Amino acid sequence: MPIDIYWRIATHGDQQSLRRRASSRGEWAPVVPGSLTPGVRDGRRDGYSYVDHMADVARASESSGFVGGLLPSFPFTDDPWATSAALARETTTYRFMIAYQPGFLHPVQAARMSASLQRATGGRVVYNIISGGGGPGQLWWGDRVDHDDRYARTSEFLDVLKGVWNGGPFDYEGRFYRVEGAGLPEPLARQPFPEIYFSGSSKAAIEAAGRHADYYLSWLEPFPELAAKFAQVREHSTAIGRAPKFAVRIDVLARETEEAAWDEIRRGWAHVDPAALRGADGDSVGWLRSQSFVSWPVRDFRELEVSPNVWGGFHLLRGGPAFGLVGSYQQVAERLDELIGIGVDAFILAGVPHLEEAYRVGEEVLPLLRGHDIRQNSPLSVSKGSI
Amino acid sequence: MIAQSPDHGGSGGRSALPAGRPDRLRGQQGSLERLPDGLSGQRDFPGGPDFLVTVPTRGDGRDPLRRDRGDWQPGTRRPLPSLVTDLRPGAFGPYDHLAHIGRAAETATVGGALVPFDPGGEESLVVAAGLLRHSRHLRVVAGFHPGIATPVYAAKFSASLQRFTGNRLGWQLEVDLDPAVARSQGDFLQGADRYARAEEFLTVAKGVWHEESYTYEGRFYQVLAGGFQSPNSGLPFPRVHLTGTSPEALALSARHADVHLFTADEDVAAGVAELEGRAAQEGRRVAYGLRFPVLARDDDDEAWEEARRLWVLAGGEADGLPDPDPRTGLWRGFGRITDSIPLGRAGSYATASPGLVGSYETVAAGIRAYLDQGVTTFVLEARPAIEETYRLGERLLPLFGKEIEHAH
Repeated sequence: MPIDIYWRIATHGDQQSLRRRASSRGEWAPVVPGSLTPGVRDGRRDGYSYVDHMADVARASESSGFVGGLLPSFPFTDDPWATSAALARETTTYRFMIAYQPGFLHPVQAARMSASLQRATGGRVVYNIISGGGGPGQLWWGDRVDHDDRYARTSEFLDVLKGVWNGGPFDYEGRFYRVEGAGLPEPLARQPFPEIYFSGSSKAAIEAAGRHADYYLSWLEPFPELAAKFAQVREHSTAIGRAPKFAVRIDVLARETEEAAWDEIRRGWAHVDPAALRGADGDSVGWLRSQSFVSWPVRDFRELEVSPNVWGGFHLLRGGPAFGLVGSYQQVAERLDELIGIGVDAFILAGVPHLEEAYRVGEEVLPLLRGHDIRQNSPLSVSKGSI
Repeated sequence: MIAQSPDHGGSGGRSALPAGRPDRLRGQQGSLERLPDGLSGQRDFPGGPDFLVTVPTRGDGRDPLRRDRGDWQPGTRRPLPSLVTDLRPGAFGPYDHLAHIGRAAETATVGGALVPFDPGGEESLVVAAGLLRHSRHLRVVAGFHPGIATPVYAAKFSASLQRFTGNRLGWQLEVDLDPAVARSQGDFLQGADRYARAEEFLTVAKGVWHEESYTYEGRFYQVLAGGFQSPNSGLPFPRVHLTGTSPEALALSARHADVHLFTADEDVAAGVAELEGRAAQEGRRVAYGLRFPVLARDDDDEAWEEARRLWVLAGGEADGLPDPDPRTGLWRGFGRITDSIPLGRAGSYATASPGLVGSYETVAAGIRAYLDQGVTTFVLEARPAIEETYRLGERLLPLFGKEIEHAH
């Protein structure tokens, strides 16, 4: 079974390296000489916008071997649906993995947008369904549904979306949604249904994932914890006759040598706010888990290396998930092989800056993967696709 | 489509506005400022007519019986005989045609394109995003109804598109849906409640758009400590287009519309007069628009010959061709020739409104009659979209050059 490897398209600007946490791509920082998209030309903004940079990242990762890109969604980012619709015709094979929270769009509208996007792209839409961390973030969006209820809503949302997908008429009456005589019009109906990557580390999330996920998606965690989490999802899924695959999001800093890789981290570390080293707040179960693998406070960046090449400080250099891989091209490839060995079927990799690192990882790391052999020999291997 | 020139200040220019035009339109003249390249999408219209074309989102074709362009009816596209090399299979998809329509409108110097809400057609926001991405100047108005998303989400989606495209996105919010269509979209709200929700929808969307810390507690929506941050803050809100002639519709427009769109079967003069008063009470100005089909040719005879041909093709009796209204010149036969195929369970969403048939001069005179009533935005419908858009850009729009020039 081939492994699908995605890249990430940063939807809120990018920095030129991990050495300095300063955005110079997109308008998340003041537009000055040296800014790109928009750039400054003759003293004025040049008319390009951040979507032009995202198009460059999509083309770079498409041509360097990635099957698609994840487009994250947060209050401060660009919107993944809008971005995918704008970029649909600017790549050939590239899949757009759209992160979204089901509560914000009506499922009939989500079906209409998805089917139109499938027609625009030739079937290259993938879903990353997130149900939200709760707290102030949800109220920013105007969403007052409680944490566990949001997974119930996600289930209803997907029931309706799938119900209208192949035409109709489809009737539904649930707690959150009600439709009557619904269904996509004929030319939109029966497009390939997007693969679903389902995120969430809470009990409610894992239960919903069992029902709906094609891929259960997790941030990188220390490998034994990750394997245990997968086992839990597998158990839930098996009980209801399903067998999701597994995917991991991983920030990567790979260089020719391990020393060169850690040297990059060292340069970025010099600018980290010491206050951040006491540990960070957050309200999602996934975030609390990721912080629990490290004994805060930390003083040296190598204290965040919880096992060889597995480093828990990426959020301090860029924001986003904490854990990623740091090492030589060979070491990073070996760790990815180990993950394939514990049952990972897909990766969403990312590096900063996203454009240049897509070429680096695509050209230097991906060709070293051996995955399949290791999986066969691994004591943790599971039988795939036979359930 | 209005040529923007920094050399025409406008303030001292002679006004070409008909004497009967409301004064508020005069105030808009010369309000344009030269914006940096690529950022010139959002603008106050300087008083001349603004033309948009309607994007067919459920297929397009050479005549009313054909929707073989845009992959809408697979298999209806006439194949080339096998002796002819055909390199197309696999290389083109439905959105190649939609993108071509947007390019044609841009090339033909049309100012904008309306992508209507059509539950039986392509999704309008996805289409609009593509058209905007692949044009430089075209303003694209996407039609949707308030039930599709939360207002925060609709605004968020739109903020990205505004940034991506130099602020060229517009909204047409459809409030008065057919009840069965609404239920098929998951919307069971009825009657005046729909306008109450639309009011909240626009209030919240504009609230999070313009305020950094925004809290709202209403009947339909709640937000706590919302509001966009840079770079998604400080953008022009999409131009809001609204429709309808009921008191609720006009009240909503008075408070929220930038453009109120009529159809030609509505009493435009009465609607303008009513809305003018209501908007003044709100301390606002609303621009007026009209959505209608056109069939324009070199001379009246040729236009009517084509109307008759399409009428018969669409199943009409040859001797049953309706006459145009003797007073307004509006022709009701468009109901058959623009909309003769029942498509999708949601019925058809073409306007089926009466429209103008005749020489370019005749059609231009019909449009001028509306200009005299204060209408400045004209959303034209014509098929096949690409050829007719070129035709309008080359032959009809230049007849308004005088108004446009004098408007600067």
